Amino acid sequence: MNAPVRHEHSFAFSGEDDGIAPGETLLDIRDVTLSFGGVRAINHISFDVLKGEIRAIIGPNGAGKTSMLNVINGFYTPQEGKIIFRGKERKSMKPHEAVGQGIARTFQNVALFKGMSTLDNIMTGRSTRMKRNLFWQALWHGPALDEEIEHRERVEEIIDFLEIAHIRHTPVGKLPYGLQKRVELGRALAMQPSLLLLDEPMAGMNLEEKEDMSRFILDVNQQLGTTIALIEHDMGVVMDLSDRVVVLDYGRKIGDGTPDVVRNNKDVIDAYLGVAH
Amino acid sequence: MFYRTAGQYKSSYKADHALFPVKQDFWLLLVILAIAWIVLPYFATEFAFNALLIPVLVYALAAIGLNILTGYAGQLSLGTGAFMGVGAYACYKLITIFPELNLVVAILLSGLFSAAVGAAFGLPSLRIKGFYLAIATLAAQFFLVWLFEKWAWLYNYSNTGAIQVPNIDMFGITVAGAQASSITRYYFVLAFVTLITAVAINITRGRIGRIWKATRDMDIAAELVGINLLKSKLLAFAVSSYIVGVSGALFVFLWRGAAEPNLFDIPLSFRVLFIAIIGGLGSIMGNYLGALLIVALPVLLNIIPEMLGVPIPSATAEHLNVMIIGALIIFFLVVEPHGLARFWQVIREKLIIWPFPH
Amino acid sequence: MDLIHSILVKPFTDMVAAPDFLLQVLWEGLVSGVLYALIALGFVLIYKSSRIFNFAQGIMVVFAALTLVGLHEKGVPAWAAVPMTLGVMFILAVAIERVVLRPLVNQPDIILFMATIGITLFLIGLGELIFGGENKVMITQELGIPTGSFAFKPGGGLLLIEQKDVTAVAGAGLLVVALLLFLNYSKMGRAIRALGDDHQAALSVGISLSAIWVLVWFIAGIIALATGIVWGARAGVSFALEVIAYKALPVLMLGGLESVSGAIIGGLMIGILEKLFEIYWGQPLFGGNTETWFAFVFALIVLLFRPQGLFGEKIIERV
Repeated sequence: MNAPVRHEHSFAFSGEDDGIAPGETLLDIRDVTLSFGGVRAINHISFDVLKGEIRAIIGPNGAGKTSMLNVINGFYTPQEGKIIFRGKERKSMKPHEAVGQGIARTFQNVALFKGMSTLDNIMTGRSTRMKRNLFWQALWHGPALDEEIEHRERVEEIIDFLEIAHIRHTPVGKLPYGLQKRVELGRALAMQPSLLLLDEPMAGMNLEEKEDMSRFILDVNQQLGTTIALIEHDMGVVMDLSDRVVVLDYGRKIGDGTPDVVRNNKDVIDAYLGVAH
Repeated sequence: MFYRTAGQYKSSYKADHALFPVKQDFWLLLVILAIAWIVLPYFATEFAFNALLIPVLVYALAAIGLNILTGYAGQLSLGTGAFMGVGAYACYKLITIFPELNLVVAILLSGLFSAAVGAAFGLPSLRIKGFYLAIATLAAQFFLVWLFEKWAWLYNYSNTGAIQVPNIDMFGITVAGAQASSITRYYFVLAFVTLITAVAINITRGRIGRIWKATRDMDIAAELVGINLLKSKLLAFAVSSYIVGVSGALFVFLWRGAAEPNLFDIPLSFRVLFIAIIGGLGSIMGNYLGALLIVALPVLLNIIPEMLGVPIPSATAEHLNVMIIGALIIFFLVVEPHGLARFWQVIREKLIIWPFPH
Repeated sequence: MDLIHSILVKPFTDMVAAPDFLLQVLWEGLVSGVLYALIALGFVLIYKSSRIFNFAQGIMVVFAALTLVGLHEKGVPAWAAVPMTLGVMFILAVAIERVVLRPLVNQPDIILFMATIGITLFLIGLGELIFGGENKVMITQELGIPTGSFAFKPGGGLLLIEQKDVTAVAGAGLLVVALLLFLNYSKMGRAIRALGDDHQAALSVGISLSAIWVLVWFIAGIIALATGIVWGARAGVSFALEVIAYKALPVLMLGGLESVSGAIIGGLMIGILEKLFEIYWGQPLFGGNTETWFAFVFALIVLLFRPQGLFGEKIIERV
């Protein structure tokens, strides 16, 4: 199969205005500690994410990367430390409040709604923006339908961008894994986030799929200005895509900087080679 | 050949959202509506109305209510019978306290009581998940039936503990009670059921339906998309119980004419659940198919052996009925968990490409 | 003021005023509790090994009892009827595994639960067809269950304990001990527990899914027969027994779906508490018959505070 023809995509809608200028700190993790019972998943970690950058979080398995994402989007509340997002210190947050804050994420094991189509899955990403109440929904024609179509137009842009128009009505349970991950990305994009958290977006993909996904991620970052924090194991992807990298191991931070700096960091190399330290 | 969809393009999202993007489906619906509103009433006998047509409609409505809660929102409910009872008793009290109240209004209002009770028993759904939630609706089921019996005010202190539907007139015609003709009652029920079905279809096709399905499929992901699970589940309980309550009022007032507390006991809950399962969880139209099957089966089991000249005692027919339903449930779950609704979808897809095999 | 008094004070003073009656109530509650626990045990066994919530456990109790009595009516002596009934339960287990469980192997839990509802219906219809719908009498004497009663006179009062109830409690106790020993110390028992923990892993060490499921359902059948005999001896054999199975649900909710000891403690708790409530609160205050719903409301309230039940494991959701 030929590689799909890439065209420069421009979105009709822009990223959210979250009051932070490009280059300034969007997310500041300060001395955060997270424990489960006796296990310290995250041990006094600090790092920041600048607006407009792509920040990779890497590290061997079990290093605490997914837990870190879960902390960022409010699923877990750290026992110690501070999280400063968009300039404000964040107290503990309930999971469904993350979207309102401007944070969206994808999951390691694709967390799509298996009983719904691609279109419907991505439309759920617009849930916080759709307001028409029960009465109008019961009537359907009129304000409810208008709202539905208005948001459908947005979602179709995303579908177009991700090149999944041909499967928009397919139940996602029937899609191959790579396409499911793309749909999940689409759902996250539909939330128009300031900060997009991607948990191993390339996992289980072949080379061609990875290239597609990389280009999507870059486009989202460059065209919409969306800040992205992603967990990834593929070093090639990490080096190519990310502006800066933070390296975790056993719940601690062992490296922080541009890809080149991190690549040459002895601690990082040791961690990956499994050298005891 | 019948179902050629070629050439039917949709050139706007609005068209894509239409209920019947394919013209043939629209015609099919018109045919069905014509049969229901015109053909059947013309030909049906008294027996057919009372044993088939009216109960199918009432059960289908109850199943639509249950389906919204269990099929769309994923919250298992074993209390449907009791919630039907709430609707029925509420209607009875309204009619006896305000005899001038229009029956339509009374029925619409009684749904609200059911909705409130349903939402109350749905509150635990935030803490309790999955099977464990069945305990909440079971508690509702057993407690409410006990209440129907013990709280004599509900049945106006009658000695028998039963409620009797008085003759109720609307615009000069007796619509309910012993003197109401079956054809009047049929149209009354048909009007209610058609209207509520339309509303149910509308609600489930838009953002609320999506929110429910997300809650059902993966509630953690639903939260992270910004869905408030408590509101979503409570709304499902409320809407579902409203519809179930209305069906309960119709059940007593427009079909049976009288009721005792044990009418609303757990076998009723299961009967509606079977209709919802066999019809297809997560579908609205499927409930009609399920209701048709569940209501018609015992009737057929009595009639067919007679017609074939091999009459079987009605007790045996009843046992066979129960066995067949049990077997059907298993059959559907193995072969087509999405019920008769999906069967129809499959047939329809085959019709679209007929005479080609694929 | 009166109402508060009758809710908060009078029941307890009544209890103290007639301690022999209290003991009687507690004993009755204990016996019911034992029977609930037995049914719950059947559920737990099947759930532990296959994650299926076997709604049909209740009807299996009835079916087993009916088969036993039915065989006896046809002239089969008790000592032969029991193993024959066990044989029937075995065939039932095999049939269920082949026709229902195997085709539904990877379906979500709710589908399997509904399938067991289907099985229940089917067995109700079949049972009524074969055995007729009238109430029957359990063949207590033929089985050797003593039918007298013991009378105690604690502190001048009267406490009547039926011997068949004592047999029930003792028998149930033996059954539970046997079951626990089997699960924990035998090869097959280990296999059952392995299957409960992780299907895939169990398969990969060569445990045969089908064989284990047949075994488990058969054991559940044995438990069902024991329950049916005991309960039938108390209350007669009829399809009303099936309703008892509903009570097992709150027991399971309390005890946790996977815990054998939880099922037992939960069963005893529910049995005793519902009897106490009915006698000291239900009848005086509400006109009685609260046993239809007390167990459920009680379990519901407990679950609100501890969603995993009293003994269940805390559910941690991982994303």
